[in-house]
This record gives sequence, structure tokens and C-alpha cells, in this order.
Amino acid sequence: MRLLRQALLLLRSELRQELRDFELLLTAGFFTVVLLAMFYLSFASLQARAHLSALPGLMWLTVAFVGVLTLTRIFDREREADTLRALLAAPIDRLAIYLAKSAMALMVLMICCAVLVPGLWLIFPAGQAFAELPGQTALLAFLGCAGYVAIGTLFAAGLATGAGKNTLLFIILYPLTTPVLMYALVTTRALLDHDPALPDHLARMFMLDVILFAAASLLFETVLVGAPARRSERAGRPGQRPPRDRPPLASDAPVHRDMSRETSS
Amino acid sequence: MSEPAAALRGVAQRFGRKVVLRNLELELRPGTIVGLVGANGSGKTTLFSVLSGLLQPDAGERRLFGREADEVDAPARARLAYVAHATQLYGALSARENLRLFADLRAAAGLSTRPADDVLLELGLSPEALGRPVATFSRGMAQRVALARALAARPELLLLDEPFTALDAAGRGMLSRVLLDERSRGAAVLLSSHDFDALIQICDRIVLLEGGALVRSVEHHQGDREGFRRRAAALWHDLPADPGDTMADGPR
Repeated sequence: MRLLRQALLLLRSELRQELRDFELLLTAGFFTVVLLAMFYLSFASLQARAHLSALPGLMWLTVAFVGVLTLTRIFDREREADTLRALLAAPIDRLAIYLAKSAMALMVLMICCAVLVPGLWLIFPAGQAFAELPGQTALLAFLGCAGYVAIGTLFAAGLATGAGKNTLLFIILYPLTTPVLMYALVTTRALLDHDPALPDHLARMFMLDVILFAAASLLFETVLVGAPARRSERAGRPGQRPPRDRPPLASDAPVHRDMSRETSS
Repeated sequence: MSEPAAALRGVAQRFGRKVVLRNLELELRPGTIVGLVGANGSGKTTLFSVLSGLLQPDAGERRLFGREADEVDAPARARLAYVAHATQLYGALSARENLRLFADLRAAAGLSTRPADDVLLELGLSPEALGRPVATFSRGMAQRVALARALAARPELLLLDEPFTALDAAGRGMLSRVLLDERSRGAAVLLSSHDFDALIQICDRIVLLEGGALVRSVEHHQGDREGFRRRAAALWHDLPADPGDTMADGPR
């Protein structure tokens, strides 16, 4: 409950900030509309058979681009003000940060899909299945975006606390999210073809998302602050001076001494 | 005598090939204020990151509140507060909202926090400023908000990375009084600063970080403020010259 409550508090803070300037929503939304316009200009004149082949790729390509934009911007806010480190130093469950950021990114992507999917349906007659199967379409969009966000949030957070530049996120994210996007693409094709195996595809996407979220949750804190050094390393590396044998800390004996006569190391 | 609030033994930290901290030993006792000085790039911020749990040391031992801290877990973080050089505030949120966010997060963990308005007003913010977005604040005002967020938690260990930066004379006086109050309350305080006079006024000990290690220290012996000032001045003058050093005030 504590984890959930802290995640909701952080999500509320994210939403409050976003509702002050709508920067994230406007940027992602506008980018989605621009891509739709480009798709229309590039592909609308092609035959319907080509539309059917192109539609899944266009949909998930858009999600991939908007996803990187969204994740970059979510963590740019934190990086500019260094607020992520303030959260990491606070007595909160650090997993709550991951959950809140993931939820925020997922919300933005779902809002973009609410523009993208109807847009694709309007532009390409082959997208009729989106209107005929709205529940399955919504679930497909949710599961695909969730899997993308599960991985993307982990690496975006890691780069936000380090010296990594946003370009690294592009380089890292695309290869890592390819399996999720590819499977989403296959499932989209199954939806458009009215494939009876669609429920199985959706179930597999759900399982994949569960695995990705679980793995990311386990790795999140380590990615952000690192793992503790092994005890053998803490005792000293080869070549280093071994730690002195010291008595237990005496109550009146400070560890640090006035070493004004000693040479510095 | 009580356990140290924090103790580092043989701590080392490197980033790639660069060794930032080496065989560092430091102890912070309750009810004391320790001043940390060193040239730019000497590892002060890294030291704060290790103490606050933002970095895991590559070697050595870190103890917090009497327990070995392989990781600085949430219960330990509940007892410490870190004010970084950057104010680490959400610009779109007001001063009050910034503090309330962290107060609510603490409350979700069963921890109490002083009321946001009380602390903000104590640190010199005007009532009409409390509801304004922090992005509209000057650096000095934002610094006060960051301090308020830390002090509201009533920490046992207070870590401050150059807290006097951007504060005017009144602000420095206010902060000095606040830190002395914290010391009276029993908190252990570690602060870094280039403000010699401020350190002399409030610190019980000043340590010099050089080459990643604490190489010298001077203690304030009861009733010998002038002697402390002289020894600290000698330590200050031993700081390596750095063309980029923006140290504001030297000893007078």
C-alpha cells in the first residue's frame, strides 16, 4: 500500500506539472499529427493491399518515435532541475518513482494512440478493423505501449541520473524495444485480418509485459544508484593498501585525526 | 557517548579510471557541525553522494546511525536530509507544493514532517511567495526552499553542499542560526562551503579534502575561537590554487 500510495503521489505531481503547461501532451500530440499527415501524403495513393501491409508498421513506428520523445521529455524535466536525485535521497520506495514515471509515459502514449488509431482508420480503409473491434484495438494499444514503457522508463531513468546524453536513449531504446514492437506489429496484423488467434496474441503480449515490468522493477534501483560493492572489494582491491586493523570505534575517539604533519595521499 | 550518525572507513570511489575518493575516513557525531573544504573537483559532492546513498562506494565501509549501510535504505534515508548544490526543486510547483510533496511521501511511509508553511516562513520567505512557482524565484529564494524541505524532516544527519551559495548577508545569518539550532537539537551536520567566515562561526571542526582524501583537520576547542580561526586560516591557505576556483571569501 505504501508503494502504491507513493507512486500515486508522484503521479499526481507529474500530472499537476503537466497541466500547468501541457508541454508534454502538446509536443507528443503534435508530433503524432505530423506523422499522420506524412503517412497520408506518402501512402494514401497506394493500393488497399499495400495499406494492409503498411498499417501495423506505421502504427508502431509512431509509438516508437513518440515514446522516445515522451520519455526524453519526462526525464529532461528531472535532469534540468536534478529533482530525480532529491527523490532518490528521500525515504520513499524507489520503485514508486519507476511506477509513477511509467504511468505518466503510458498515459501520454495512450492519448497519442487515441489520435493515431482513428487517424489511421480515416486515412487507410484497411484500418476498418480498428472501428469494428474497438475493445481489442484499445487493449492492443495498451499492451504494446505498456511493454514499450516498461523498458523505456528504466533506461531513460538511468540516463537521467548519469552523464548520458539523450542520444544514448535513442541508441539503447530501439534495439531493446524491438521485440515488444515486433510482437505488437504481428498482433496488429492479426487484428486487421480478423485472425481467430487474436486472443492468444493478446494474451502473449500481456505475459511479455508482465515479464518486462517485473524485470525492470528488479533492476530499477540498481540502474539508478548502482549495486553495493561486494564485501571482498570493500575490504580492498589488490595493490591497494590493506585496511588497518582498527579497534572498534571508541565512543570518544574520532576516526579522523588531525593529520597536519602527515603527507597527503 | 552516542554512536556517530555517520562513519566512513577506507571509502573509495572511482568514475572510470578517475579515482575521486581514496581511503577516506570521516566520522560525524550528533550535536556537531563539521565544515568540509576543498578545491573544485576535490570530491566534495561525491562524498555527499556516498553519505546520502546516491552512490555506492567502490570500497570501504559506510555506517549510518550505528549500522553498516551497504545500501542506504529507506529507514536510514528517513533520518537524513541532503541539500545539494542544485536546489532540486520542481519549477512548475510552488514552494508550498514542493514541500508538501515530500511531506506526503514521508507521511505515506509513516514519517512526520513539520508543516511546510511554518518552515518556509522561518527561513525568511514571505507569505505571498509560498504559492508562487519556484521557477519565478531567485536562486537565493530557491535555496531557502530547498533548505526548508530538508529541515522540515527534522533529520538526525544533515548534509549540505555549499548551502551559503546565493544567500545574501541576512540569509547567511539566518542559515547560521538555523544550523546552530540543529546542532543544539542533536543533529550531526556536514556542510561544504567556500565562505570562511561562516565556517569559522559555526563549525566545531573543519576538514580539508584534497586528492580524494581528508588530509587535514582543525578542531574548535572550547573557548578558543581565535586559535581555531588561525589554524583554519592556515588550512585555508593550503587549498590548492585552481584557476576555476570561485571561492568567495578568504580569511581576513
